[in-house]
Amino acid sequence: MKTKHVYYLIGGLLLVVFAGFSYTEFQGALTPYVPYDVAREAERTVQVAGGLDKGSSSYDEAQGYLRFTLIEAETSETIQVRYDGVKPANFEDAVSIVAIGRFDAEQNEFAAKQLLVKCPSKYQGLESVETKTYG
Amino acid sequence: MLDSLSQLYLPGAVTMWCALFFGLAAFYGYTRARHGDHDTLAFARRGYLFFTLSIVLGSLVLALCLMRRDFRIEYVYQYSGLDLPFHFQLAAFWAGQKGSFLIWLLFGVLLGVPLSRSAGRAEPTVMAVYILTLFGLLFILVRENPFVMLAETPVDGTGLNPLLQDDWMVIHPPVMFIGYAAGAIPFAFAAAAMWRRDTSTWVNRAFPWTLGGFLVLGTAILMGGYWAYKTLGWGGYWGWDPVENASLIPWLLGTVLIHGMYLERTKGRYRRANLVIACLLYLSVLYGTFLTRSGVLADFSVHSFVDLGISRFLLLWMGFFLFASLYLLVTRLSKVETNTNEDPLLSRGLGLVLSTVVVTVSAVLVTVGTSAPLLTRFQENPAQVGPEWYNKVHLPLAILVGLLLALIPFLTWKGTPASELLRKLVPSLGVALAITAVAAISGVEQPFHLLYVFLAGAALAANLQKVITMARAGGLANAGGYLAHVGVGIMLLGVLASSAYDQSAKVTLEQGVPRQVGDDLTLTFERYVPRQGREKEHMEVRVARDDGFTYLARPKFFLNDRSRQLMVNPDVKNTLLRDFYISPIQYEPGQPPGVDHRMQLGRGETTTAGDLTIRFVDFNLSDTGDPQLALADGGLVTLGADLEVRSGDGEAVSVTALYRFSSGGQVQTPPVELPGGGMIAMTGINPGVGKVQLDVAGIGSVPQKARLSLDVTRKPLIKMVWYGLYVVLAGGLLSTWKRYKTARLIDAKTA
Repeated sequence: MKTKHVYYLIGGLLLVVFAGFSYTEFQGALTPYVPYDVAREAERTVQVAGGLDKGSSSYDEAQGYLRFTLIEAETSETIQVRYDGVKPANFEDAVSIVAIGRFDAEQNEFAAKQLLVKCPSKYQGLESVETKTYG
Repeated sequence: MLDSLSQLYLPGAVTMWCALFFGLAAFYGYTRARHGDHDTLAFARRGYLFFTLSIVLGSLVLALCLMRRDFRIEYVYQYSGLDLPFHFQLAAFWAGQKGSFLIWLLFGVLLGVPLSRSAGRAEPTVMAVYILTLFGLLFILVRENPFVMLAETPVDGTGLNPLLQDDWMVIHPPVMFIGYAAGAIPFAFAAAAMWRRDTSTWVNRAFPWTLGGFLVLGTAILMGGYWAYKTLGWGGYWGWDPVENASLIPWLLGTVLIHGMYLERTKGRYRRANLVIACLLYLSVLYGTFLTRSGVLADFSVHSFVDLGISRFLLLWMGFFLFASLYLLVTRLSKVETNTNEDPLLSRGLGLVLSTVVVTVSAVLVTVGTSAPLLTRFQENPAQVGPEWYNKVHLPLAILVGLLLALIPFLTWKGTPASELLRKLVPSLGVALAITAVAAISGVEQPFHLLYVFLAGAALAANLQKVITMARAGGLANAGGYLAHVGVGIMLLGVLASSAYDQSAKVTLEQGVPRQVGDDLTLTFERYVPRQGREKEHMEVRVARDDGFTYLARPKFFLNDRSRQLMVNPDVKNTLLRDFYISPIQYEPGQPPGVDHRMQLGRGETTTAGDLTIRFVDFNLSDTGDPQLALADGGLVTLGADLEVRSGDGEAVSVTALYRFSSGGQVQTPPVELPGGGMIAMTGINPGVGKVQLDVAGIGSVPQKARLSLDVTRKPLIKMVWYGLYVVLAGGLLSTWKRYKTARLIDAKTA
């Protein structure tokens, strides 16, 4: 065998191993969009979306959590969400909030790691510019 | 659909149609001129000139309408407003879909002018392909004309999104669009070369363009990261958001192409691969545009645009170039001659090949990750992957990059024996060991992180050594590549330190009460500063470290005037080793000690307030001195009132309330604390009838102080990310200059 073929073999093997690693991690890192009832049962990180229940948001100073309630527009289902990051700009005006995290059965609330906030339609022409917080 | 004529602002709309006409003429002329007909070439050039002029004129019209606040035009109405200062009126140009396509097209046609001059004999084919790439943008603008008018003229526009009202909005998007526009240039060269069936020389001319595009796109990405970090308060400079990734993928492929071109220029290798990569680079620009502009990721991205109804067109545009590239590659690639050297294991050739593979793998991973919502669309629920995945898969890649960058400077094409390589590596390995030791002392424990630090340090040192050697020999101009790799080493270190080893704490501060945060910081919320002129309202927080280092942080929390949206700006303090990043979370104004009870008492009278009984005993003039004298000096005169206060059935307590005034009208009424909580102040005095006015506040409860909740994050060595990228770009600039000169030199020889 030529040296070149040996390289291809080793390189190919490494690529396959790395592809396998990336794929497994990829499957694990996927955060599917789910309804609230599925989110309550889910064993993994998921994302839920909904409108902010106006006036439901409060800041828990002792624990440093932002708590609020999301309402599903069609079914009027609700879910309580806590978020331990920095409150995104224009949060209160959000027309829709996406929370990414997992359900905390003990506290009976959804513990969000990340929020995507969609801006209001006050700007009729506005292409929804959103904010989120990341670390 | 085309809008009916009466709905269009004709001076603007006409320029778009003219552009289409002249663009088609230029395209036709260039395709006909490819066999060397000088007259047709002159025709094509004139066509392109008018094409360019039309787009420039159209852009000027839109800019003028924005300046004049001509709200008849829908786009102006949607993105501008009377309250916008000049520079944001200009920035409104690229705040929306249509305008951002227009500025992209504007830079595209402008780049075409020097491109046609630099393409030499390949000009007709290169320009024909290049004009074709511009048509995608032009068709969108003809279809979705930015010059649509409203039926009635509104008095004011809806204004620019407050999140975009930042100085970076003025500069970041245009630079980004220059970078995107430049992404089509290597493709134009490659596709034209395949079309002509002459792929031997395109790389020489395309090289400086590719480097230049890489530089501009890199600068734009740097600016975007800086914007996100400094003012948007996103906490980081990079969040693996689809829109960020859409600019990263072409940049990574640009990196691959640069190295492929280097291999082709120096060793005649990668002749086929470079054609493929140039096509992929442009396709990645289109794919990113599709993902972020079509609304397919609307639920997954921070700043994706809503669907304008152009997603089908975007797909078509992408599909056209995908099939065109595939056709050219399939029919032409097998006939391209390329050198396939046998590389020994420790050789420069193999090292470079591996580097291109690693960066390509990174580009593929980012593409797959960004496409996750599309890939999973047909499963039960569409899903996305978070930043953790990107970080996890990039750790091994970054380690490999560090290893390759440390070795390559000392490898030769023929191969370097291991013993010699090791000997040459001794100084860099020494530096790397020292850096790793410092990292270990500073708290890096994870073995992979230590390996990462070691290799990144070695890469930094090895390339730096090379730069110094070359500079001493007078060849700094040729050291661009090594310099860029010094920057990569610096960046790698900064990225790990600032993202994996940041420390974050949340704290709620009562106004005026110092609180300890972390081991050695003390924060005091001093005051809330109301808006003054254009200076936004903000908080003043005193930050003190145990070693005496102290500064005043000014995080902002303000309402946008127009939308009443609550906006947040972090305070970032740069120090040599770390940044202090303070984001406001929540602000409670508290209960200002308002007036609960106001009463007027004559001497000897008694009244009640809540369960308090208050008796005004007598005036107290013990601090008064000579009032005439004090007033003449402009000083304060103090009057006192002796009071007897009893809470419920408790003992009576004597307190003295003070009233100070000056001839200048200055009045001070310092409140006096009452037994059992609350305050009392003498807020008025009527000497004629011998009465005083007393205000009692907060009895029975302590007045609530204002409270501010903050997130305090320490980001170590984050400066190295910025400085590393500066060095990468500086190295890129040197290389661009060098390749530009080489291309000119070869031109001169062949002319």
